[in-house]
Amino acid sequence: MSTVEPPITIAILGAGKGGTAMLESFLNLPHIRLLGIADTNPHALGFQLARLHNIPTVSHPLKLIQEDKVNLIIDVTGDPILPSYITEHKHSGAEVLGGTAAKVLSELIRHQTFIQAQLFQSEKLASMGTFASGIAHDINNPLYVILAMAEEIQEETNLDRIRLHAASIHEAAQRIQAISRNITDYVRSSSHQELERIDLHARLDEALSISRFATKFREITVQKHYQNGLSVQAKPEEMLQVFINLITNAIHAMEEKGSLTITTSHSNGTVQIAISDTGCGISPEHLQKIFNPFFSTKPKGQGTGLGLYNVKTIVKKYHGDLQVESEQGKGTTFRLSFPAIPPVDDQVFDGQP
Amino acid sequence: MAETTAAMFGGHKTNGLVLVVDDEPDVRKVVRMTLEKTGYDVIEAEDGEKAIEAIHQGENPLMLDVIITDIRMPKINGVEAINYFQQQWPRVPLIVLTGFPDMEMATGFLNKGIVDYLVKPVEKEKLIKSVATAMEKRDLNRL
Repeated sequence: MSTVEPPITIAILGAGKGGTAMLESFLNLPHIRLLGIADTNPHALGFQLARLHNIPTVSHPLKLIQEDKVNLIIDVTGDPILPSYITEHKHSGAEVLGGTAAKVLSELIRHQTFIQAQLFQSEKLASMGTFASGIAHDINNPLYVILAMAEEIQEETNLDRIRLHAASIHEAAQRIQAISRNITDYVRSSSHQELERIDLHARLDEALSISRFATKFREITVQKHYQNGLSVQAKPEEMLQVFINLITNAIHAMEEKGSLTITTSHSNGTVQIAISDTGCGISPEHLQKIFNPFFSTKPKGQGTGLGLYNVKTIVKKYHGDLQVESEQGKGTTFRLSFPAIPPVDDQVFDGQP
Repeated sequence: MAETTAAMFGGHKTNGLVLVVDDEPDVRKVVRMTLEKTGYDVIEAEDGEKAIEAIHQGENPLMLDVIITDIRMPKINGVEAINYFQQQWPRVPLIVLTGFPDMEMATGFLNKGIVDYLVKPVEKEKLIKSVATAMEKRDLNRL
């Protein structure tokens, strides 16, 4: 391990598109500390994001550039007077990045954001493929039973045997009906693109039933410890994507035997969700990499290595937190937390004293 | 061609013995119905391990002619399942019967020497034709 270096302290001047992209990017970097962001426009794009992360926002750059802690001043305003103003007033120890150099950095960051969006999309497509072939398999089995049994009935004269075949057809058709119902629910939820109040437990249950298509539960038991009336504010599709990813990972880790526990709770203005499995666990060296894009322990062609990366991205987007604990041979727990939103009414504790 | 098998079953005339491996009982039943009507004997198993048990339950292990197997099964799947059967019974022709219409996987398996890659729901005639082809291959394997 290298020695811990002090973080680089940065002030951003300009909270338009360029400044916002930079701010967003720096928020994810552990060795960078943001001192503040300045813009003369009080409604600048980047101010909202900065406030959400408790980064000071100012209308005049003077205080920021005079601050003795500032290591680097990045000027993305494009204002022709600003460079000389900065040179004149800045703290003597601060470096300045402006003009074309700042523009190049800004371009690089925009390109990175674009690539991230593409990664996100490609995982979605890949998981859609797994999902679709899982569904195909689950439908084709009962469909085969229905077609063959129906053919059989046409030639069969023994009434008892006909009844038995009809019962098989009925059972198979019910299975297809259940699958179809789940798919329509899923499609309905993904067409919503708006932020909305999400009933956590309904989404967790939905994720569970969808995960059953992509994985084999077999001898896996599911334990749910739900605290009543918890909601978060998010896009339903994205929340579902987070849950499906974590649940299918848990199921894969257990190789068809074990226990999946989903616990929800509420404290200090946050909602917590824990998804635990009793599976193989994650080795310490893998644990550091699981959120990296393209990191996968699955055989080639089976995992995109983007699942957990996207989970992390979504969680961050909603100002949530994601932690993982794992012990090899014992199991893994993923802990999610999101800012809580108040319940719709006070009567959520139905049936409770 | 059927003499050896017929002899094994104590003179009872049969076109051959087919092992059907699938984790769904109704799927096994449907395959059995189709094949028995065509004159084959069928034994069922829900996975590879159960298949071995079924083969060895009598005093002498049964002489298999053809194996029809799904590839999505507990503990082993895909290539592993095929390897497993090819190791257990190297001379017995394999037919894959699965719910996954996956061309890439199908080509891979055909290159490994399986007779056919059938996708459920499979037509009766197609299944019967495929088993007949497998039986011919079995005869060649025994030469």
